[in-house]
Amino acid sequence: MDIEVKMGDLVVKKNPDNLIASGIGSCLVITLYDPKLKIGAMAHSMLPTRPPSRTVRDASNPIRKKKKAIRNPQYEVQAGKYVDGAIGEMLKRMEFLGAKREDLEGKLTGGANMFAGFASDIGKENFIRAKEKLKKEGIKIVGESIGGSIGRSIEFSIASGILTVKVKF
Amino acid sequence: MNTKNKFQEVSKLAAVNTSEALSKLIDRVVSIEFSSAEVKKVENLSPIINPEEITAGIYLPITGDIKGAALLIFPKETAFTLCDLLVKREPGTTRKLSELDISALKEVGNILSGNYLAVLSNMMKIKIIEHIPSFSFDMFGAIISQIITKFAQKVEEALVVEIEFIFKPTILKGYLLMLFEIEKIKKTLGLTISK
Repeated sequence: MDIEVKMGDLVVKKNPDNLIASGIGSCLVITLYDPKLKIGAMAHSMLPTRPPSRTVRDASNPIRKKKKAIRNPQYEVQAGKYVDGAIGEMLKRMEFLGAKREDLEGKLTGGANMFAGFASDIGKENFIRAKEKLKKEGIKIVGESIGGSIGRSIEFSIASGILTVKVKF
Repeated sequence: MNTKNKFQEVSKLAAVNTSEALSKLIDRVVSIEFSSAEVKKVENLSPIINPEEITAGIYLPITGDIKGAALLIFPKETAFTLCDLLVKREPGTTRKLSELDISALKEVGNILSGNYLAVLSNMMKIKIIEHIPSFSFDMFGAIISQIITKFAQKVEEALVVEIEFIFKPTILKGYLLMLFEIEKIKKTLGLTISK
């Protein structure tokens, strides 16, 4: 079965499914794979790190005590939205299914910059954050298709562990 | 008047000026219609076109009293046909975009978004400044996701305007996406129009 992993989504599977992500630009798609147990995970992350929560300060209170953080529920975290959170969540779910960290193989796709006029290169920031986080968690990166100004689509077979990258021109 | 009708009124006024400007540029009568104008949640922008469809995207940052961006999306065949007309080639001959084609498409982007923003700016009596356009020609999903990522933290809604270029008997389609503080615009337009 083909399962589409949309922006911000995260999927972990132990079945021989294909995980698919289409039209990847500056987003980073992280896949983790346990070749022994054939467990696959994919996260379609948009941003490197979750920003600090927005807080409200009470101006009438002279001490200006910090009130409870208020978050916009519309942007409440999807499991795969932020690179660092997504990697942590994938590891947690894979380990729950019996995967061992030392067996896991990571692959990274995306991180492009589609518009030369953009001052910030969020794609590159996503990639750097993923490399840092995977290194910290002791996960080896075995493949990557990163950067440039091209869109990519990918298909990741959990049966074989093969990740196929498609570009269009 | 509801939000949809207000934006349709803006669309009607903008279409007249845009048609005139584009006809001059192409040296042929072309009628532009902004056929629908809807406010959508930013995270719901992706489904308007298949994410793997090749499109031309023209991105224009906006500053002034409102901040955000305009993004023009032309499906591949619309972009190629526009280039045939703009660069005066035989119909159907553009199959690859040259620097000249890209520059011409950016100019069309400037005209379309510039006229739309000018109407908004006049109605709202605010200053809107449009900046130099950037161009991308790739999968729609890759283009729109970068824009969504850039604005997802700051902007909740986008105005999605469907564009029709009518060169009788041909009709081409495209989209104009406006990402800025729609709430502010809705409020101001409401006040202005109800007077």
